[in-house]
Amino acid sequence: MRKFLAVVKHEYRKIVLKWTFLLGTLLFPVLAAGFAVVPAIIFSIKGEPTRIAVVDSSGKIAPRLKENLSDEKIEQRAREAAEESLKNLTPDKQRDLKGDVPQIQDGFQFVDFAADGKMSEQIRAELAERIQNGQLDAYLIVPENYAGEAAKYEFFSRKAGDFIVNETLKDALDNAVRSQRLADANISEAQLKNLSRGVDWQVKKVDETGVEKEDDGGFWAGFVIAFMIYLNLAIYGQTILSAVVEEKETRIAEILFSSAKPFELLMGKLVGVALAALTQFAIWVTSAAIIAGLAIPYLAAGGLDLPLPSLSLLAIVYFLIFFVLGFFLYASIFALIGAMVTTVQEGGQFAFLPVMLMLGGFYFCFAVIRDPNSQLSLWASIAPFVAPMTMPVRIISETPPFWQIALSILINGATIAGLIWLAARVYRIGMLMYGKRATIPEVLKWIGQR
Amino acid sequence: MNDENVTLRLENVTKRFGDFTAVDNLSFNVRAGRVFGFLGPNGAGKTTTIRMIVGITAPDEGKIELFGHRMSAGLQDRIGYLPEERGLYKKMKVLDQLRYFAALKGVSSKDADARIDFWLERMRLSNWKTKKTTDLSKGMSQKIQFIATVLHDPDLLILDEPFSGLDPVNVEFLIEVVAELKAQRKTIIFSTHLMETAERLCDDIILINKSRKVVGGTLREVKESYGKNMIALRATGGNGVLEDRALVAKVIEHADEKELLLADRADAQMLLRKLIESGAAIAKFEEVEPSLNDIFIDQIRGADA
Repeated sequence: MRKFLAVVKHEYRKIVLKWTFLLGTLLFPVLAAGFAVVPAIIFSIKGEPTRIAVVDSSGKIAPRLKENLSDEKIEQRAREAAEESLKNLTPDKQRDLKGDVPQIQDGFQFVDFAADGKMSEQIRAELAERIQNGQLDAYLIVPENYAGEAAKYEFFSRKAGDFIVNETLKDALDNAVRSQRLADANISEAQLKNLSRGVDWQVKKVDETGVEKEDDGGFWAGFVIAFMIYLNLAIYGQTILSAVVEEKETRIAEILFSSAKPFELLMGKLVGVALAALTQFAIWVTSAAIIAGLAIPYLAAGGLDLPLPSLSLLAIVYFLIFFVLGFFLYASIFALIGAMVTTVQEGGQFAFLPVMLMLGGFYFCFAVIRDPNSQLSLWASIAPFVAPMTMPVRIISETPPFWQIALSILINGATIAGLIWLAARVYRIGMLMYGKRATIPEVLKWIGQR
Repeated sequence: MNDENVTLRLENVTKRFGDFTAVDNLSFNVRAGRVFGFLGPNGAGKTTTIRMIVGITAPDEGKIELFGHRMSAGLQDRIGYLPEERGLYKKMKVLDQLRYFAALKGVSSKDADARIDFWLERMRLSNWKTKKTTDLSKGMSQKIQFIATVLHDPDLLILDEPFSGLDPVNVEFLIEVVAELKAQRKTIIFSTHLMETAERLCDDIILINKSRKVVGGTLREVKESYGKNMIALRATGGNGVLEDRALVAKVIEHADEKELLLADRADAQMLLRKLIESGAAIAKFEEVEPSLNDIFIDQIRGADA
């Protein structure tokens, strides 16, 4: 036991006291913060407003358009759009969400232009000249028969590629013309507002017990947790692999094996690295929570209302359990590979196997997020190798019955016991075999060897 | 031989890997406080035997007794093993490595630090305590590895080619340290290809070849069993006599003298007489015992023939 602890301490210190650990530990939250906060900050910087001249001989469309393009109106519409996309929680919608953010901020500045009595060609020429001089960004010509079927609205812009400006303007114009048509049909403004009001769309989640509750941002938390588990397992799997190979390459294994039992050494290594991984994971989760706590009010102020997920203590305990399960599943595979090969590079050729399994687990998470109660989600959260990633996501999306969690822990625990037994058998022989990579039949022979 | 004086006892030890028998029915004793030379060509089964002694693998047949007990994990702490294939953690400080190796041998961290200081001082490496392995020369690494072997004050030291890669000054230095350990009644098993060094250091030897014991005993016994059939000769003339295979089995030319191996029935006095009769001018004629090197080569070649 004392030797086991010595190995644990050695492996833990070897990782944690390295500057790369510090860098990785700090860099991840900084990067995460960057991804979360920086776009919001960038978009919140008010860009140059688009200077636009509207030539409206009817005098009916321009005022409505101006009203629709006022800052308050734009902001209100953006918020509505953001809320809507948040409620359809799919990964694709996230991107829409980001696209909506700049709309909040780009404004329009209306430039007066006296068109009275001038010929259409003369107007165009004068406006085009102003654009060339840099006094104007765009102009819009409203046809005289604004409501007619053949009415053509012409928009000229220096930045015709700015689709956000174009879309915003088009929407506002559509609305303005629609309102004017209705007004022309003798429908009052009050009636108009009443008639064109949107529905009150509320998404509520119903859990197993039938209690309805507000949607609590489970998608975000699930995604972030799955990603962090995946990243952590991938990093520390490689760490285990190279630590095992180093002891083999430098021939330290022979000294180690003459001092302690191979099983003690292997378990000590796995536990030591696991503690280092947990340390990092804990720092990441804590900082992610802090960043979320800071960023969400900030984004909310910018019109993006992301609710903070509420996590129970039990859920956190479950996360820890599944993180540890995932770690030992993959770490024992990486250790086994390390004992078989002679260099880290050679190990890399085999590492694709566990990495594929991990990626599989990560992708299954999306299925689980979409429908936590489907058959697929059930099996994905119980099956060995993928469950350590999918089950935490499932727990956060919608906590499954206890027996399913217990079964998942049991099956994965049993898989770990089998894998560690296998890894230890291979480790005790393979670590002393220098020179060439072992073939599969050789490895099978080692397993049976005394 | 008194049992208390036996540190290690191997009895009919056999180890197989599949169809290959790496160690075949090997028996020998290593006495306490002596230097035991464990000799043999590459692939003779030395490393396999040592791995069984230190408890890395177990014999298929036979038994190994250490300090009067059957080999077990607990006894590992009383052995210091310097393997032939050895190394250090590349990016770790000397102090941290030594602390780890000491901890693995069950030394408390307080004792470990004191002993590390003592041994670094003894090896004249105190200035390198906080350096990383990558900063050390090969010889320095070797000395650090030696420290790791003796840090837990083992009663049995197993040194497999301890001098490979060391310059002559450091070889002498290490031999001195080994002599000190021997004076402290430590038992030392010394495995090497360097017969001259073995001859200098060992009280007892065993020679194994092709998984089996060839000869063994005290260095004296082994040499005497070979008899004095070697002659060192410095002479001019008398060449006809040396070519007589009934007298001289083999002539080994050295720079300024010849080494003669007497034929089976021949005797030194007869050879001397024949040489004088042939008119040779003899500057040196000396009966010498065979060197360990001669025995080694003779045995291994004999087995191959």
